[in-house]
Amino acid sequence: MTTPADIETMIARMALGDRAAFSTLYSATSAKLFGISLRVLNNRAEAEDALQEVFVKVWRKSASYQVNGLSPMTWLITITRNHCIDRLRARKTATGQMDEAVDIADAAPGPEALAIAASEGVRIADCMGQLEPDRADAVRRAYLEGETYDELATRYGVPLNTIRTWLRRSLIKLRECLSS
Amino acid sequence: MTDALDDNEEATALAAEYALGLLTEDEALAFEAAMAVDPDLREIYARWAEDFVSVADGIHPVPPPQSVLERINADLFPANTANKPSLLARLGLLPAALTGLVAAATVLVVVNLDVLRPAPTAFAPEYVAQVTAEDQSLVVLAAYDADTKVLRLDRSAGAAQTGRSLELWLVVGDAAPVSLGVLADASATEITLSDDLAAGIPDGILAISDEPLGGSPTGSATGPVVAVGAVTRL
Repeated sequence: MTTPADIETMIARMALGDRAAFSTLYSATSAKLFGISLRVLNNRAEAEDALQEVFVKVWRKSASYQVNGLSPMTWLITITRNHCIDRLRARKTATGQMDEAVDIADAAPGPEALAIAASEGVRIADCMGQLEPDRADAVRRAYLEGETYDELATRYGVPLNTIRTWLRRSLIKLRECLSS
Repeated sequence: MTDALDDNEEATALAAEYALGLLTEDEALAFEAAMAVDPDLREIYARWAEDFVSVADGIHPVPPPQSVLERINADLFPANTANKPSLLARLGLLPAALTGLVAAATVLVVVNLDVLRPAPTAFAPEYVAQVTAEDQSLVVLAAYDADTKVLRLDRSAGAAQTGRSLELWLVVGDAAPVSLGVLADASATEITLSDDLAAGIPDGILAISDEPLGGSPTGSATGPVVAVGAVTRL
């Protein structure tokens, strides 16, 4: 079992140029990060490219890990998620189509939404459950599909200002629930 | 915004929007600048990052194909193959005799962050290189500010042997290495580069060789290269 402290040690050693630590980190985390890449990008070849770029980035940024205040898996998953969202948005811009890849995940609640309830993410799942369903759905879409305010406004058929106002309100409610 | 939020709510909402990637480029940059000087805001962001990550908890791990790791290794560690001998050759050394002795590693350290950026300082480097011996016996972090042409060197491990000097070289393309001078005894030093040298930094490689006291008498490296690092843009 790889603990967060183990991963922190690997990242610290990578910052000193330790390739063995990099190999160990790859073995311990690549399946999780590839799963996330596949989920966000929904395309195997693109997910493989993204995973490659993510690990190159992780190696190069290992020295900056200690100062960012995130737990090690959060740091790795956030880099992966953000990188895949950037790719997804570039793809949407390039093809002008934003819904095809996304709609596969449309049927709510998706498999991961069910799994969340059984995992350690139980609290955010509980708190998301206290939001109105379309608002929880919008938060999930923003996180996992990288949907922008423009896309969410189109999806829910409301003006941009309105979508932003109600999503911000929902996020504040979510924080109150998570802090209680 | 059409509705009024108090400061705390505003910070909470903004940090969540930043974490989700809902802000425009300008808004995101402004938020990063605010975070750089506000530890409370960093904490609010970090809590969101931790919470949102648990949305991904239910995503099942999928082992990637072996080819991905091979491509990563080829990307990150090309020095294992063709680059090392050619670099040593360019430094005027004998690759066959020295490969085993030198064993220098190229380590790129990019100190910018995609999630958090450090507080700005007067010295604003755009380029860095970590010039490191593979066994960590010599570690020099180089940071270069193109506006002022100042190269700042910070030696965190290693020193010249008694009666010897460590000399820093800039290698650009196929040109002969150019000396940037002998490393001072102090662990931190700054060198202001001439325009010619400054132009070579972005595509350059920094190398440190072991030389007679006071530096190479010939103008090119005469001793073994003890550490190498490529310059990389922040």
